[in-house]
Amino acid sequence: MIEVRNLTKIFNRGKFNETAAVLDVSLKVKDRSIVALTGPSGCGKTTLLSMIGLILTPTSGEILYDGENVLLASDFWRTMFRRQSFGFIFQHINLLPQYTTLENILLPLYSSDVDPWEYEGKAREWLSRLGIADRAEHLVEQLSGGEQQRAAFVRALIKEPKYIFADEPTVFVDEETSRIIYNVFSSLRDSGKTVLLSTHDPELMKIADETYRFCKGRLV
Amino acid sequence: MRCMIRKHKNLLNYSFDCLRRYRMRTAVILITFLVATTMISAVLFTKDGLEREAELSVQSAPDLTLQYLKGGRVEPINASYISLISEIPGVEKVLKRTWGYAGIGKYTFVVVGLDPDGLDYSRGVITSLEDGRFLTPEDEGTGNIVIGKLLAYMLNVKVGDDIILLSESVETNKFHVVGLFSDASSIYTADMILMSLGDANKFFSMPEGQVTDLCVYVSPSEDPATVASRMNSIPNLRVLDQDLLLRGYKAAYGARGGIFTTLWTILLVAIALIAFSQAIVVGHESQFEVGLLKTFGFSTLDIIEVRLAESLVIGFFATSLGMLLGFSYAAFLNAPGLVDILLGWAYLPREFRLPVYVSLQSVFSIYAVTVIPLLITTVVPAWLNAITDPELAMRRAAA
Ligand SMILES: Nc1ncnc2c1ncn2[C@@H]1O[C@H](COP(=O)(O)OP(=O)(O)O)[C@@H](O)[C@H]1O
Ligand SMILES: [Mg+2]
Repeated sequence: MIEVRNLTKIFNRGKFNETAAVLDVSLKVKDRSIVALTGPSGCGKTTLLSMIGLILTPTSGEILYDGENVLLASDFWRTMFRRQSFGFIFQHINLLPQYTTLENILLPLYSSDVDPWEYEGKAREWLSRLGIADRAEHLVEQLSGGEQQRAAFVRALIKEPKYIFADEPTVFVDEETSRIIYNVFSSLRDSGKTVLLSTHDPELMKIADETYRFCKGRLV
Repeated sequence: MRCMIRKHKNLLNYSFDCLRRYRMRTAVILITFLVATTMISAVLFTKDGLEREAELSVQSAPDLTLQYLKGGRVEPINASYISLISEIPGVEKVLKRTWGYAGIGKYTFVVVGLDPDGLDYSRGVITSLEDGRFLTPEDEGTGNIVIGKLLAYMLNVKVGDDIILLSESVETNKFHVVGLFSDASSIYTADMILMSLGDANKFFSMPEGQVTDLCVYVSPSEDPATVASRMNSIPNLRVLDQDLLLRGYKAAYGARGGIFTTLWTILLVAIALIAFSQAIVVGHESQFEVGLLKTFGFSTLDIIEVRLAESLVIGFFATSLGMLLGFSYAAFLNAPGLVDILLGWAYLPREFRLPVYVSLQSVFSIYAVTVIPLLITTVVPAWLNAITDPELAMRRAAA
């Protein structure tokens, strides 16, 4: 279970461009659930997801994983935690353009004590499930937005992480792929994973166990 | 704890991938380092070679060289000193020597006159001949000479030919070549003309009974320094030992060696500039990548390991290749364009070998000035990026 208490992020504190991106947010994410964050653009969804995903340090507040305040741990410990338990699907996709789809997908495995190419079969399985099996050897810069989105999906899932963070995962894909993605999320939950996502997509909110609505950094 | 060999292999693979993928960046570093290290190693290896030659030839020089000082200046020494010196305990043999420089065309050569009577070829620099014979006592006053190979090449003469030299008193002097120093002799015989003492005295218009200096050989059981100290009481005498001679040799190259300082400076500036621009480019380019890798669970150390490996591989490869090229340029091509500066000769013919010596010290210093700046300028920005919140690093790079 993830528990967020009074989480606040203020960018450029004390400067003319001070921005309160997230203000005093408290919420809970149960294990084996899908939780959706929604709200207008700029309301702080990405900032909140990044903080909970431990890739952005909050200004104040607490984040507890199974009761443990991970913000008190070292940077190294949090990195190891991410390595073992987190999968990220970014709003801006963030694939490395000089690499092929397959190489991008295997990249998270390079920091682990395994041979990344042992995961090739699994990666290809996921790619065909998402309908882009024929794009495995293409450089990602040659892929369409929707195809890149799906590649990023596989990259996040390759290590079978316990927690999956997905920032607006269906903006670039068509309806048919969206449906595949809903199914994937549902089956992830069924297999014991926890999904925290942000979205504007009403269909995606429908499969969520809980939806939190934001406005200007605050929970409404 | 597991040793994570597989992980380190992964990180290394990733480093090689980066070198392949960022081709432009790799090429820039490679070419700069190649050019810079080729230049500097050609100079350095040649300089090392010359210094070693100097050391070798000093080893075979007389134990002590005696000069006459008048008002602090070196003047010809009277041969009558010989009887005085010979009586000093420990002195085995004293030889007269007259030497100086002679110009032929635009080249300058060293003319050395030795008393053929006392010549000790086994101890001298001049140990082997390519052709002809050494001078003997019968050559005194005959105009017979033994010359260096470079000189022979420049003047296109061989054993049996005559050459004309212009003397101090602007008279033409005809000399007859009877021998040719071989390659195996040091580079210091390359431009040498060896003649009898009488011929040299005449050539340099030495006053009657005077020579340039006296060569003293000390008996093997004695320390040259002790013997030298016994000469302290003799007025107007300067005693040079081998150390002093060596310093003299090195100073001569030091004067020309201003070029070394210049080259080192050029090298350092070039590398600093490249390294600096790389630091900016790489820092920016990899900011996103580093942020992403951190998100995946690459630790700060993992990221430093990747960049370190990348820099080490390219740095060592480029520098080693540069040294190899520099060595070949000096050793096999005789460093055209460089010998002019170093030795004062326009070029060294292929028949002649430039003394090239690869000293460990030079190798290490070349590696140090190339690899270390590269390491610092790639690792430091990577580290700075790695300790930034990944979300911020990625957002900044994307903007
Ligand atoms: N690194 C940053 N520096 C300054 N302001 C930021 C930074 N990141 C986000 N913001 C600001 O915080 C607010 C919330 O941004 P974000 O979390 O990306 O919103 P959302 O994902 O809901 O669209 C925005 O006003 C944005 O401009
Ligand atoms: Mg966002």
